[in-house]
Amino acid sequence: MTKSSFQRIAGAALAALGVALMATPASAKIGSCIDPIVFGTTLSETGPFSTLAGRWRKMTEVFVEEVNKTGGVMVKSCGKKLPLKFVIYDDQSVPATAVALYEKMATVDNVDFFVGPDWSSLGGPVPPVADKHKIPMVMANVATPSVYDRGLRYIWGTPFPVVPRWSERYFDMISKVIPKPQSIYFVTHDNPVMKGITATWSKKAEAQGLKVLGNETFSSELKDFTSLIAKVRAAKADIVYISSYDNASVPLVQQMRQLKVRAMDVHHTMLTGSLARQVGADIEGMTGELSWYPGIKGAYSDLVETVMKRSDVTMFDYIWTLGRLTSYLTMIQGIEKAGVVDREKVKEALFKATVKSPAGDVTFDERGFADTGAFTVQMQNGKVVVVWPPEVATGKVVWPSPTWQQPQ
Amino acid sequence: MSGANEYTVRAPSVPRMWSGSKMAGRLLGTAVIVALAAMPFVGNAYTTTFIFSVLIAYILAQSWDWVAGEMGYVNLGHYCFYGIGAYGFAIALTGHWPFVVALGFAVVVTGLVALFVSVPLFRLHGDYFAFGTLALLPLMEVLAYNLTPITNGADGVVLPVAQVLKPAYLLALAACVITFLATLRINRVRFGYALKSIRNDEQVAETVGVRIGPVKRKVLVLSAVFGALAGALQAWQMSYIDPATVFGLNVALVPVAMVLFAGSGLRWGPLVGVVVLASMQQWLLVSVQGYQAALYGLTILLIGRFMPGGFLRAKWVRRVPLLSSLAREHHEYNGESAPLTRSTADLPLKRLPVDRQKPLIELQDVRMQFGGNVAVNDISLKIMQGEIIGLVGPNGSGKTTLFNCISRVYTPTAGRVMFAGQDLSQLGRDQIARLGVGRTYQIPRPFGDLTVQENIAIPLMFGDDPLSPRDALREARAFVEYAELSPRLLARADALSVQEKKALEFARALACKPRLLLVDEVASGLTPAEVKRFVEHIRHVRDRYGITVIWVEHIFSALQQVVDRVIVLEQGSLIADGALSDVVKDERVLRTYLGTAAAAHAPQPAIGPLASGAA
Amino acid sequence: MSFDVLLQVLIGGVLLGGLYALVAFGLSLIYGVVRILNFAHGTLLAVSGVLASLAFSAWGMQPLLIAALLAPLMFVCAYGYYHLLLRPLTKRNHFESTVGTVLVTVGTLMMLSDITAKAAGATQRNIPLRLPAIEFGEIVISTTQLLILAGIVLLTVVMHLLLKRTWFGRAVRAVTQDATGAQICGVQSTRIKALTFAFGSATVAIAAVLYVLSFPVDPYMGFGLTVKAFTIIVVGGIGNLPGALAAGVFLGVAEGLTGLYWKPEWAPAISVVAMLLILVVFPKRVGARI
Repeated sequence: MTKSSFQRIAGAALAALGVALMATPASAKIGSCIDPIVFGTTLSETGPFSTLAGRWRKMTEVFVEEVNKTGGVMVKSCGKKLPLKFVIYDDQSVPATAVALYEKMATVDNVDFFVGPDWSSLGGPVPPVADKHKIPMVMANVATPSVYDRGLRYIWGTPFPVVPRWSERYFDMISKVIPKPQSIYFVTHDNPVMKGITATWSKKAEAQGLKVLGNETFSSELKDFTSLIAKVRAAKADIVYISSYDNASVPLVQQMRQLKVRAMDVHHTMLTGSLARQVGADIEGMTGELSWYPGIKGAYSDLVETVMKRSDVTMFDYIWTLGRLTSYLTMIQGIEKAGVVDREKVKEALFKATVKSPAGDVTFDERGFADTGAFTVQMQNGKVVVVWPPEVATGKVVWPSPTWQQPQ
Repeated sequence: MSGANEYTVRAPSVPRMWSGSKMAGRLLGTAVIVALAAMPFVGNAYTTTFIFSVLIAYILAQSWDWVAGEMGYVNLGHYCFYGIGAYGFAIALTGHWPFVVALGFAVVVTGLVALFVSVPLFRLHGDYFAFGTLALLPLMEVLAYNLTPITNGADGVVLPVAQVLKPAYLLALAACVITFLATLRINRVRFGYALKSIRNDEQVAETVGVRIGPVKRKVLVLSAVFGALAGALQAWQMSYIDPATVFGLNVALVPVAMVLFAGSGLRWGPLVGVVVLASMQQWLLVSVQGYQAALYGLTILLIGRFMPGGFLRAKWVRRVPLLSSLAREHHEYNGESAPLTRSTADLPLKRLPVDRQKPLIELQDVRMQFGGNVAVNDISLKIMQGEIIGLVGPNGSGKTTLFNCISRVYTPTAGRVMFAGQDLSQLGRDQIARLGVGRTYQIPRPFGDLTVQENIAIPLMFGDDPLSPRDALREARAFVEYAELSPRLLARADALSVQEKKALEFARALACKPRLLLVDEVASGLTPAEVKRFVEHIRHVRDRYGITVIWVEHIFSALQQVVDRVIVLEQGSLIADGALSDVVKDERVLRTYLGTAAAAHAPQPAIGPLASGAA
Repeated sequence: MSFDVLLQVLIGGVLLGGLYALVAFGLSLIYGVVRILNFAHGTLLAVSGVLASLAFSAWGMQPLLIAALLAPLMFVCAYGYYHLLLRPLTKRNHFESTVGTVLVTVGTLMMLSDITAKAAGATQRNIPLRLPAIEFGEIVISTTQLLILAGIVLLTVVMHLLLKRTWFGRAVRAVTQDATGAQICGVQSTRIKALTFAFGSATVAIAAVLYVLSFPVDPYMGFGLTVKAFTIIVVGGIGNLPGALAAGVFLGVAEGLTGLYWKPEWAPAISVVAMLLILVVFPKRVGARI
């Protein structure tokens, strides 16, 4: 190593350092009334989490277009609307990558606000970054309550629905149907949200007078459910409650059908189009929950419907979609409520706020945790029908569920 | 045969500039470390976070390479140690243990797990080891999901939010420096040479005195400890871990790919690989829209196809000044050792006392059976100190198997081997080697990717009277000189010609400082002059150093010149044992070598055809 | 639990195990003959499965037709892949050829997953073919499962016959045992290796169609499946097809029984534990490459 090469290397290193420190693209300066408002987000477009939803980048870009068609986001203190801009990265389903990207958006890209990410694995490590840089962050599909219990003050989340309210309407319904179910059996996917649902709702079921006959947990890897289903059949419960992600339960539903599980009702916490597509006719007669359904009219529903149609995403396909879009809408409403593009003011505006969403009002508690609920649906003749609550139902529930009974 | 290829070592730089460039290197290194340490204070959080991930990746990659690049065992489950360390740390920290204790706990637990799994894992070799370790990851993931009381299952472990990027970064930097220094140290001490000998040929390593069991366990535990450190620090910084994050298959092979990309087994390989690939991945992530993973994969694929030793080992690298200095193999840093001061005509061997009446080695009804095949059939013989014995017999008569029974490459099915009055049956191969049994192999088995000098130095480092690597390398030169391989001192052993390899075998066996030397067909293929020289060597080692020699050979004319006695084997049984002149008259011997007709027609010793070298 | 339940679990285990074994067949052959650790093997199944599902849903093709088209397609692609990327590595020394194949196959795995995810979407998909079930008292077997069983048996028999009766099969076995010796006897080692690689990969394509009739696939599941396949060929013996079938079935049944008598969440761990136990207790059985 000669002296000259030493100098060369040192020079190159310093230059690289300098470049790394600089790079500052345009962003809305606080109180500025000219620059666009920049939202920063990451999507899991590749890697294992990418299997949970598709075409969200396109959906986000179309969302921005649609919002900007009417001028953008209303900022009272400027007396006009400011356009919206998104910075989107792919976090590759790796938490460490997501953290680095949010740091980049905070310090290099200088975004104004954060929306997203999705999924508990990311919802754990990423929020401290928002708190560190004091940037308000509305997470999308992060439903694990423990993530909100950490004393962070700049985060909110819009998972749809949240665990404590997930099956509210379903249990209301089954308290009112005839014949009344007496027992229930839980089948749980090994996932924090799903296990949380089972934990919460098995207690409520008992409080309601239903006997909980058992709870079997399965890992997402499981392919052969024969032994699990054998236990379910042996229990002979009136209701089989499947608390699972749609994808993980595909073989379960198919094998339950094949092994002729009998019940008054088979309920699925995530009855999605993706599930329907994969299990085909097996899904007939099952009940489930949906955070929103086509035809419901609520705040922003026209915008949401247009965005989804243009980007070829249907809510029924991936129920996470409402969570993601609502996180955008929440942040927009926070800015509108604050009246100024100022992080602290928006933070205050969102604190314990109630925002509007296509599925109704959403209220955040002091931790930033939402109170979203779901509607009970049933698959009738291949179509999804909203059956509860009766005020918004599009059809009557068929009880007991016909295809899950003994053959006539 | 000989001739420079990319594996021949270049001569190290002229001594005059050596210390200067070493100084410059150290200065540069210190400057880089200082600059990196300043980063969290002067740079932005993104760069700091990115560099932090590079540091963690380096600790993982380099610790992996100790087991893979240095020792040749590809541990595809290395990421497990990362995960166990992360969990151990996170659980301890949420249990309100102080930070340092939690860190220590993580490291100790992972080390113990590594020790525990090393027992079943090291029963596997080569590709099977790779398969077995690969399967550990999904197993760990399931354990993490299901041992809910300990690991919190799918919920993961949530650490209290503390903005620890700066301290985590600095600790990671310190850990990297330690990792790098550890690599340097490993390659300077005997342990490193033990690893490298295992990488080349485990069995031979044992027969020259290396205790491979403890070495393997040590290096696995060492790599586990550093892997755990990386996991713990990352968990601290992220403040949340769950099973998929730390045991996921989608990230498990990344450190492996990074090392292989630049060059496994090189001093700078892991570091360069990590820096290049991590930077490339980050650049792809922020600048390229779509297909980033495909491009990343394509790069790895192209390197694998065109520069499979790692791009630092590619030919073109030698021409780029900066890169070529990064591309040097570990042994190139050792350079030439100091020349010997004493005359090289003499080998640094003890002159053993010889009592012709005392047996050195005794075989009592030794039997070696492989299933139904009896290779050595109840052989009993006694060899006195200082004898030179010729061991002859047709191919397949059990001569090499007998050697293998003595040196414990095989464990005899029955019978006893007594060496200097000691029963060998309780001893392991390395113990027997240290006791004084040295051997060559019929087909030379040198430590291929080490130099001639290192090949010979290794027995000197692990013998009964072990030397430090520096002393061993120096003393090895005497043996190299003796074997007339001095012009090839720094050549890689696998670049030698067959004759040179045989000479190396012989010299290496001598370097074991044996009392008993087992020579297996070293002379075939040599010219008569070379044979004569070799015979002189055999006589010399016995006359001057008192080494007892058993020599398997087909060339009777060579044996005739030097052996005291000849033992003849046939199909595993001993059929003759006596002076050469008597043995060649023996009917059974003649029948074995030449068939029944010859035995019937040859009343006198058929010195002609048997002695002229017809094998 | 009643006997019927046990029987049902056993049947399920046999079928699942048979499916895993099919995946492992190709890998076993490839590894036995070509001595390559193909990390992208499972990803081939994932990609084929995605293609099969697309063909079914978008173009309405029947599974048999899909398999008949996919297998030759995969064969040709794998043959080219071998010649272009893997064969040149065999000329290098042992260290480099091993490292090279690892890098090439890992790179391929990343590329295939990413390109498939981008082109066809990353979300899960299958072939939702609903066929009636057959009941024997309390035991239920779906026609789909019977088809899969038939497919497994057929494929096993065909491969077995191929290896034992045809010249190609003999050549493959010869090269497995002694490549140089085989060459001396006139076997063109390179061609056999390329053909074996292609054939093993084509098997995966067929296995993929059968797989995707029962279970969903996504572009990122490949590596997990590769690990499982490796486990099976270690337990069953390299190059030993009946052994791979037995090992696959054994592991499938073990998973089912774990779920029945213990807890379903431990089922995936059982194959790894079984493999490690076997390796510890019978180390000599697993030929050491020393």
